[in-house]
Amino acid sequence: MAGLGRAALVLSLALVLYAALAGGYAAWRRRRRLALSAQNALLAAFGTTLLASGLLAAALLRHDFAFTYVADHTARALPTMYTLSAFWGGQEGSLLLWLLILTGMSAAAVWLNRRNAPDLVAWTTPVLGGVAAFFAFLLVVVSSPFATQPAVADGSGLNPSLQNPYMVAHPPMLYLGYVGLTVPFAFAMGALLSRRTDERWIIATRRWTLVAWTCLGIGQLLGAHWAYVEVGWGGYFAWDPVENAALMPWLAATAFLHSVMIQEKRGMLKVWNMLLVILAFCLSIFGTFLTRSGVVSSIHSFTQSSIGPWFAGFISAVTIGSLALVFSRLPLLRAKTRLESLMSREATFLYNNLLLVALCLTILWGVVWPLITEAIRGEPTTVAKPYYDFFLRVFGLPLLLLMGIGPLIAWRRASWRAVSQAFLLPAGIALAAGVGLVAAGAGTSIPGLIAYTFSAFVLASIVYEFVRGTRARRALSGGSWPGAFTSLVGRNRRRYGGYVVHAAIVLLAIGIAGSNAYQTVREQRLAVGQSMQAGAYTLVYRGSERKNTPQGFEVRGNVDVYRGGHFLQRLRPGKNHYVREQQDSTEMAIRSDKLTGEDLDLVPDYDRRGNFYLKALVKPLVNLVWLAGVVFFAGALIALWPDAREQRRLAERYAPGRALVEA
Amino acid sequence: MARKRSPARLVIALSVAAVLGVFLLYTSIAGGGTPSLQPSQLAGHSGSVILGGHVVGHPTGDARGTTGLRFTVRDPKGAATVAVVYHGSVPDQFRTDRDIAVQGTLRNGVFVAKRDTLVTKCPSKYVDKRT
Repeated sequence: MAGLGRAALVLSLALVLYAALAGGYAAWRRRRRLALSAQNALLAAFGTTLLASGLLAAALLRHDFAFTYVADHTARALPTMYTLSAFWGGQEGSLLLWLLILTGMSAAAVWLNRRNAPDLVAWTTPVLGGVAAFFAFLLVVVSSPFATQPAVADGSGLNPSLQNPYMVAHPPMLYLGYVGLTVPFAFAMGALLSRRTDERWIIATRRWTLVAWTCLGIGQLLGAHWAYVEVGWGGYFAWDPVENAALMPWLAATAFLHSVMIQEKRGMLKVWNMLLVILAFCLSIFGTFLTRSGVVSSIHSFTQSSIGPWFAGFISAVTIGSLALVFSRLPLLRAKTRLESLMSREATFLYNNLLLVALCLTILWGVVWPLITEAIRGEPTTVAKPYYDFFLRVFGLPLLLLMGIGPLIAWRRASWRAVSQAFLLPAGIALAAGVGLVAAGAGTSIPGLIAYTFSAFVLASIVYEFVRGTRARRALSGGSWPGAFTSLVGRNRRRYGGYVVHAAIVLLAIGIAGSNAYQTVREQRLAVGQSMQAGAYTLVYRGSERKNTPQGFEVRGNVDVYRGGHFLQRLRPGKNHYVREQQDSTEMAIRSDKLTGEDLDLVPDYDRRGNFYLKALVKPLVNLVWLAGVVFFAGALIALWPDAREQRRLAERYAPGRALVEA
Repeated sequence: MARKRSPARLVIALSVAAVLGVFLLYTSIAGGGTPSLQPSQLAGHSGSVILGGHVVGHPTGDARGTTGLRFTVRDPKGAATVAVVYHGSVPDQFRTDRDIAVQGTLRNGVFVAKRDTLVTKCPSKYVDKRT
């Protein structure tokens, strides 16, 4: 089994190397048959990688502890779901999953486009092959999941805090995001190499970018939710380098998704789009480098290994190579048109891009700051939450405002009169919301108040856009309001899907602002019968109970929750003790108010004498953060949904007589 | 005919300048962060630092009690150690052989940690090595 797995990976390496080298030669010398052969090699590499992945999955499920990877990352008692999730739990399995997704996406992207954009795909294939060759090389030479050892009776097991469904889904979603960004990068490089720098590469990869971006976003929210319910500190994001590693490519991809619309509509920002796709791809590789190299201190203690320098070399080569390519093709990347006015839709997209990239680079600066200070002063200096919070406000709040302004402004040039008319209603609603919030006592946090006022403006402008569009469609084709609404969204999925995503970001902003700026934290030692106050809640400790469990024992503190003198419910925060792992796990209790979105989090602790300590966090609106994930996914799905009308329009525009497959 | 200059360039230049200005302002006000040090680098630092390292020996005392939790931190890849005294909440993952980070100051050879700042590196992956 292990030998077969190793052989499959060697074959994968050979195939992707062939795709890179033969594909490059074929594209250069315009050898069509050789180019097709290289593309087929990429398809075959997916098959061999799938075989290797199947073998590892089988070894995990069979508890084959002759595989070092299986023995190091699972145990017999581990439930099947978590045993299978160990596939991406360790470095070797993660790399294999990366290669599997990469070869799968590469095969699909090449397959879907090779008949319709052969010249572009001919040059894209060697780029995809080159990236895949790097990962296949690591798996074959540096970090193999098929290393063997004398079989042991049982494996090491899995850290209890990781035995959570969110942690099963979080890593593969992030990988889908990271790896998915390879496709637009490869097509961009393919466009430069083939000198076909029109919008074809953007159209061919738009959905790939959207899928990668959606997965990256959802993956981060899943991780945040895991941290919130499992880690027991009452937070969900800590600006840790590893968390930032996922956020940075998402921000770069967000900027890219917006700026490509300018290139599609106005033929502008061609160089900028190239730079953004390079940035997003390099940051996705940089994220893996960060987590695996241990160059910066992170609370996420991943297995540090020797693959860090390989990643550093790869990032350097990709960055230098791709920037040199962009530079060499600058004459082909001249804009067709120019920005006509600073008050236009494209100008707001430009401001949005600058803010997103500024936020992304500021986070990058914070992440690498310890490396810079260590190089200069000899000791690393870490920037922490205040640094990131400051820049999130500086760049994030204007970004929020722009989400409301953008849809209300016309393309090319907007008149003051038209703008003031369009702004009247949303701005009035925002103003009323701001005044109402101050009256309600929300003025204690100025950034929170600004965030809420801007959020009201954005939501109002989104609703206004939907209403205006539906009314126009109804006037055009008659019918009912719901019918006109469905037709409106169906005919402009990208636009209105985008607005739904904007609404999700607003929910996220409201949730983050509410749960941070307006949260209440109280901590107290409680004797039996004693009470404490946290916000509007009165918490009464009724004593603790201990119970034996299959893995050890659990202790639960009974806490009765009252509000306004009325009993709400009994919460049971506590600790689980795992004998095998010799570890405690804090089991936070959460009471969610579905109506207001507020959470009451109870974090328990016991000292050595058994005294009970209770930390209570009242987090207003925190549930909007999770709701934002659902809305975000819905919006992305609308934008992603295939549209035959759009396909026909694009086919007519770019290749008369030939359909361009937008995958 | 003279080429018309694009306002986009001006916007980009001004934005970059604004970003740099805000950053410089921020860093000059906030001082650019907290030193993140290992035990061997602590000597000579009297201010607040983040101490990172490996927990060695057996922790004693009680983080909730008056004496506090007492433990020793060693350089991740060296022999230098420092004694730490800490009060506040203790992460579940905290124990001997784990990597931690904690904020505080060095006083008379003992690192006095700031309350509730102890962070144990989260074993986000399956890091336990079988022996």
